[in-house]
Amino acid sequence: MLLHAFLIAMVAVWLFPLFWAVYSSLRPISDTIQRGYVSWPGTLNFDNYTTVWTQAEIPYYYLNTLVIVVPGVILTLLLASMVAFCCTQFSWKFNLIVLMLFTAGNLLPPQVIIVPLYWIYLHTPIAMLGSIDISKFSFALFSDNNLLYDQYIGIILIHVVFQTGFATFVLSNYMKTITKEITESALVDGANVLRIWWSVVLPLCRPALAAMATLLFTFMYNDFFWALILLKSSDKRPITTALNNLQGQFFVDNNLVAAGALLACIPPIIVYILLQKHFVAGLTLGSTKG
Amino acid sequence: MGDSRDAKRVRNRLALPYLDAELPLNLDLSRRDILKIAGYGSLAAFIAACGGSPTTTTSLTAKGGAMSLGSYNTDPNSKKGTQAIVDAFTAANGGTKVKLNTVDHGTFQNQISSYLQGTPEDAFTWFSGHRMRFFADKGLATPIDDVWDAVKSNYTEGFAASIKGNDGHAYAIPTDYYPWAVFYRKDVWAQHSYTVPTTWDAFKALCAQMKKDGLTPIAFADKDGWPAQGTFDILNLRLNGYDFHTELLTGKQKWTDPRVTAVYKKWSEITQYYSQAFAGLTWEQGADQLLRKTAGMYLLGLFVSDEFKASGSQADLDQLDFFPFPDMGTQYDAEKALDAPIDVYMLTKKSPTLAANRAQANAFLEFVAKGSTQVLYWQNAPGSIPTATDADTSQYPALTKKAVQIVSNAKRITQYFDRDSRPDYSGPNGMQGFLLKFLANPGQDTTSLQGQMQSFWDSLAPE
Repeated sequence: MLLHAFLIAMVAVWLFPLFWAVYSSLRPISDTIQRGYVSWPGTLNFDNYTTVWTQAEIPYYYLNTLVIVVPGVILTLLLASMVAFCCTQFSWKFNLIVLMLFTAGNLLPPQVIIVPLYWIYLHTPIAMLGSIDISKFSFALFSDNNLLYDQYIGIILIHVVFQTGFATFVLSNYMKTITKEITESALVDGANVLRIWWSVVLPLCRPALAAMATLLFTFMYNDFFWALILLKSSDKRPITTALNNLQGQFFVDNNLVAAGALLACIPPIIVYILLQKHFVAGLTLGSTKG
Repeated sequence: MGDSRDAKRVRNRLALPYLDAELPLNLDLSRRDILKIAGYGSLAAFIAACGGSPTTTTSLTAKGGAMSLGSYNTDPNSKKGTQAIVDAFTAANGGTKVKLNTVDHGTFQNQISSYLQGTPEDAFTWFSGHRMRFFADKGLATPIDDVWDAVKSNYTEGFAASIKGNDGHAYAIPTDYYPWAVFYRKDVWAQHSYTVPTTWDAFKALCAQMKKDGLTPIAFADKDGWPAQGTFDILNLRLNGYDFHTELLTGKQKWTDPRVTAVYKKWSEITQYYSQAFAGLTWEQGADQLLRKTAGMYLLGLFVSDEFKASGSQADLDQLDFFPFPDMGTQYDAEKALDAPIDVYMLTKKSPTLAANRAQANAFLEFVAKGSTQVLYWQNAPGSIPTATDADTSQYPALTKKAVQIVSNAKRITQYFDRDSRPDYSGPNGMQGFLLKFLANPGQDTTSLQGQMQSFWDSLAPE
């Protein structure tokens, strides 16, 4: 009984901010200005949602996020699984050191390198090979200003760099559970290293890859920082950073921001619901030795 | 482009009749030459060339083409206004394509330094005052003396002075401003039959009366740190004058000066009339207190009307009025100084496209210097008053007219603390924090606080 009372109280505490965001997002700003936030609503409607959907052009920013996150997750998984594969399935002099290096890189707070990174981005030439135009947005291949700065590819790369460490760590833990006999027998059958990686180890790692994909998706989706610093054009921003554009110099329509934030929450929730089995698996990945 | 040598040859040949009388009817221009002349410039340029003028000026502005604009106008109203200006410019300037990059105000300001050193747009929105001169000194803004010469007749002396860099060059086109004053609701004041106080004592007496009548006398909201600086500015201007104020904010006077102490002393006389828990209130919440008739007065910029407008009630907006901050009984009252920040458009330096788009960017700057353009913007964002002399003032409501009035009465105009001082000093680690410390305990002896202010200033790297 006491436990249940406690649990109900905790649920209420956790749900309260979410509830308040939903409540605010349903009220027009004029209503809250006249009555205050802690008040009974005069009107409740979905105007904030339609406004943020049409005027703030949320759909475009979903697309931006997609353009950044999908290649980011795929590249990270490919690279991380290669490193993990080499470090776990082969005995060579430096495999532990390499593994430690990748794990250590994971501990580096990204903020400390932002200034040199900014200048590196400003001075790295990237080819301009045209672009794919979708209505107002133009997705450049691979750059539209000959630089890494202010480009989708720049954001993709920085995500790959910063997530590879963690992904390598997790995947190598999983791959340690694959017995060497399997790869050795593949070797005996004449498969080369790449073939073993692609046709033997990766299929065996499918649960780990799926778990990592969901985790990486949420990590990259949630990113606010890189896009804010390394993108100049606001129309290239992913959804999380784009929400910032709802704030003005003086006037901030908090109800509109609430509506936008709730809309931005939806895709990770959908991904979570669809892949929650993998998500939980990802959190406990490598915690037991096979 | 490219065939300037040919052009010179044509000019020389054309100049011949005027130099040498022996060839008065020299018409040995080939068809190709004539085509070249036609292609080279307008008839005016052709005539100038005939006159043998040695200048090879390219024209200041150009139609068509493209340019880019970085904008921090993300308030719903000002965003609409900027879009309206851009559309009008495109229509008026032969279809010039303007690539508009709107970045939220806070981020734009925080990143301005890296933005200007990176790959910025050709033109950008910014502030006048110290913040403009800072980037001009750093060589991150392009001087626009040629454009300014073309439009300066449309501006008063005060605006002309506000856009000059330390090197004497013009760097910006001022487009709008808004004054800071004490706002109140006419209906609330009529109900209690309050009158506008013109002296400090009358102001304090009014506060005491409001408190008795159950109102919060002065709405005050300082969660974001900057609103308190408005009170510091006006008190310092009234007590110590414009010269001391600007020198103090640029480090030429000391924060430990007894004149600064006097400001805090006077300030502490009215803090008891402030809103409850003001350190946790945003300026909008302060404005709401005024709107909902729980507060009597509010010292803020004209943008307070934006909140009234957002409330969706025209009746409330019609009740909004203001008066200039009361006199303090010093010689500086005569200056009638006030904060009236000016917003400007500038040209960047490092834009990769500026060299190609310079003439279009110039045309854009000339376009925003027009009264008609600024009125267009003002119609969308009524908190921003046009700066151009030829702006059509006939549509202004009483509130705007009054705002124009008090600014033109002012002998001295400041830009607001955070625009007149260095950004790192006015920010949360600096003055914003110090003022919150002061306001937490206004009755305190401010000697040690002033010492902290000075040592923080001294600790900053030279600009």
